Amino acid sequence: MVISPVQYIAIPLIAAFLIPLFGKLNKELVRIIPGLVLLYLSYISVVLMNQVISQNTMIVEIIAGWRPPWGINLVFSPFSGFLASLFSMLGFIIWMYTYNFKREVEDAQTEKFYVLMMMLITGTIGIVLTGDIFNMFVFLEITAISAYSLTAFYRERDGAEAAFKYLLVGSFASFFILLAIVLLYSQVGTLNMADIAQKMPDVNPYMKGVILMLFFVGFGIEAEMFPLNGWAPDVYTQAPGPIGAIFAGMVVKAGIYGLVRVIFTLFDVHEIFPLLMIMGVITMAVSEVIALRQGKLKRMLAYSSIGQMGLVLVAFGIGTHEAVFAAIFLMFNHAVIKSLLFLSGTYLVYHSKEKNISDLDGIGKSLPFTSFLFALGSLAIVGLPPFAGFWSKLYILMAAADVRLIAVIAIILAVSVVEIVYYFRVLHRIYFRERISTIEIKIPSFNAKISMLILAIVIIVIGVYPDLISGLIERAATDLLDKQHYIQSVLSVGLH
Amino acid sequence: MMKRFFIFLILAIVGYYIVDVVSQIPFGENRVNVGDYYLDKSPSELKVSNTVTAIVVNYRGFDTLGEVTVLFLAATGLASIMFRRKRKGEKDIRAKKASSRIIQIGSQILFPIIILLGAYVFIHGHLSPGGGFQGGVIIATASLLMLISYRKFKVNHSTISWIESIAGIVFVLLGVTGLILGKTFLENFLPTGELNNLLSGGIIGIIYVAVGFKVAAELTGLIDTLLLNNRPEANKEK
Repeated sequence: MVISPVQYIAIPLIAAFLIPLFGKLNKELVRIIPGLVLLYLSYISVVLMNQVISQNTMIVEIIAGWRPPWGINLVFSPFSGFLASLFSMLGFIIWMYTYNFKREVEDAQTEKFYVLMMMLITGTIGIVLTGDIFNMFVFLEITAISAYSLTAFYRERDGAEAAFKYLLVGSFASFFILLAIVLLYSQVGTLNMADIAQKMPDVNPYMKGVILMLFFVGFGIEAEMFPLNGWAPDVYTQAPGPIGAIFAGMVVKAGIYGLVRVIFTLFDVHEIFPLLMIMGVITMAVSEVIALRQGKLKRMLAYSSIGQMGLVLVAFGIGTHEAVFAAIFLMFNHAVIKSLLFLSGTYLVYHSKEKNISDLDGIGKSLPFTSFLFALGSLAIVGLPPFAGFWSKLYILMAAADVRLIAVIAIILAVSVVEIVYYFRVLHRIYFRERISTIEIKIPSFNAKISMLILAIVIIVIGVYPDLISGLIERAATDLLDKQHYIQSVLSVGLH
Repeated sequence: MMKRFFIFLILAIVGYYIVDVVSQIPFGENRVNVGDYYLDKSPSELKVSNTVTAIVVNYRGFDTLGEVTVLFLAATGLASIMFRRKRKGEKDIRAKKASSRIIQIGSQILFPIIILLGAYVFIHGHLSPGGGFQGGVIIATASLLMLISYRKFKVNHSTISWIESIAGIVFVLLGVTGLILGKTFLENFLPTGELNNLLSGGIIGIIYVAVGFKVAAELTGLIDTLLLNNRPEANKEK
């Protein structure tokens, strides 16, 4: 069997249905299988990415034998493929972290945790790979349903409340997106994204505007855009630590992907760019200021995450090739760095009931390795050299300077200062305070240490040699901006 | 007060635009490009007389696989959230007394008939209205009927998870087989047979049977999970 993009979906699905059966044979298999699946997905990512980059094409796979626009198709282009590869590899690293996580939880619960976690990752991969707008909605539902259940996974926390909030807001997002799809279908009579993009000029502008706004709000909720992000801090705080990393690294990224795919490829309306930028600036400024006032570690990380998403939106809103390049670079960096922060932060406040930042006083001596990685992540996310975060911020500032957006540059720099203040405040507590709290320390398991170390190494290596990845991102940016090429590649598949 | 005013204002604006846009969609005019193609191809190429089934299971089969997964995840997630040990002295939400004799005998008679109807609906999914989802739901109502009329009626969760898993795997493997045979994922690889025969439409009928089993097992499990938490037997180990 030739390696093809549909395996990203088919293999995890078979595994998800098999896990309950294997769980009856051996409890350990429940933990191992998701890892094997994610490892295999990482492997096919490398193979397919290689193929796409070396042959300078995009892989379009048709499903059920009906070529577009009649059937559903998957598109593994430099942009969507880059994100799918990122998600599967990051997913594998996070799986490694969870391998010994919560051994004391009942077996029945462990099984469900792993099935839901794997499907959460698969859902986000499906969102970026699909070439059909309704299919994207289906994958959005897969992601959302797993996300709701995982948020409420711990009974001893207030997870149920956070999950319910997320469920209500998420249903609104689904409703808006589905309504937009219905209206779009009534106008163009097709669900294939390339076909829609081709027929878009015939739709009347008023209809177009309303549909675009519905998509904007729907995906805006998923992408944590202000003021639609009320659910996010609670969810990040209550969900298990590694799931927080998946939310920050993948689920939000998939929401952003949906937003930019709709704006850049489907509609291609440039009037929306200033709105995107303004929403980005507001999201960034508001959430970073709120982050400054947070007393709980994970809440602070959550607001910081929202702020970074604001910055991504600003960069996409600028809309030039350099800005899109910077935005995708930031998406990559944020996925890696924020995952590291969530993974290491989880161990820093492991036994703390309140998860307060003040519980971290002097923890640098008791947990040197984890604290060091957390510090490294903090320095990277605020954008200090020589870490990965530096480059993406620099490219965004340069892209903004190119189009003379002085006010935006000023706000980004001001917000960076705020970011530095609240991250350094945490570092100060970790390293320069005496330990007074009596909360028990949890030493990370070996596999958790390895997974965090890998992320840290990626951050440093990309920081020193950004060229390792910038070539791929360059191609991804070109791919996103080249709408005609996308339409042609998809619609010409299966013709000859 | 201000907050409320703004909420209503926003709702009014959103509502206005939605109503306005929906009312602009012309009624009774065919603006669907792909529809004619489906109507034309389903009987001739796929040999499926129910075009809706052809769309659900073949043209957009990938979506259906996704929807089946959504249901599976919802059941898994619910079981994970509802999983708990009951405290002592907690009240039972099921009726204290057994149901009356009439209901018990009645549901005994109805039970096999409902199962039969459900099976008929999903086996004939490609010929007549209905299909896997509908048939599965009908079968699940049969178990609901038994659960409410007999206090002692038990659902075997082990069997349910076997049915769920095997049905799901059959669906995906049918898709993968197409891939192995050099076609595309979920493409039909069996002979399509003759229009309007029971054995027609290739893999479409088989997929719908699998979906029927899966939906029936999942919904039965869901209903039982919701009741199980409040049933004394579930907490015996304490």
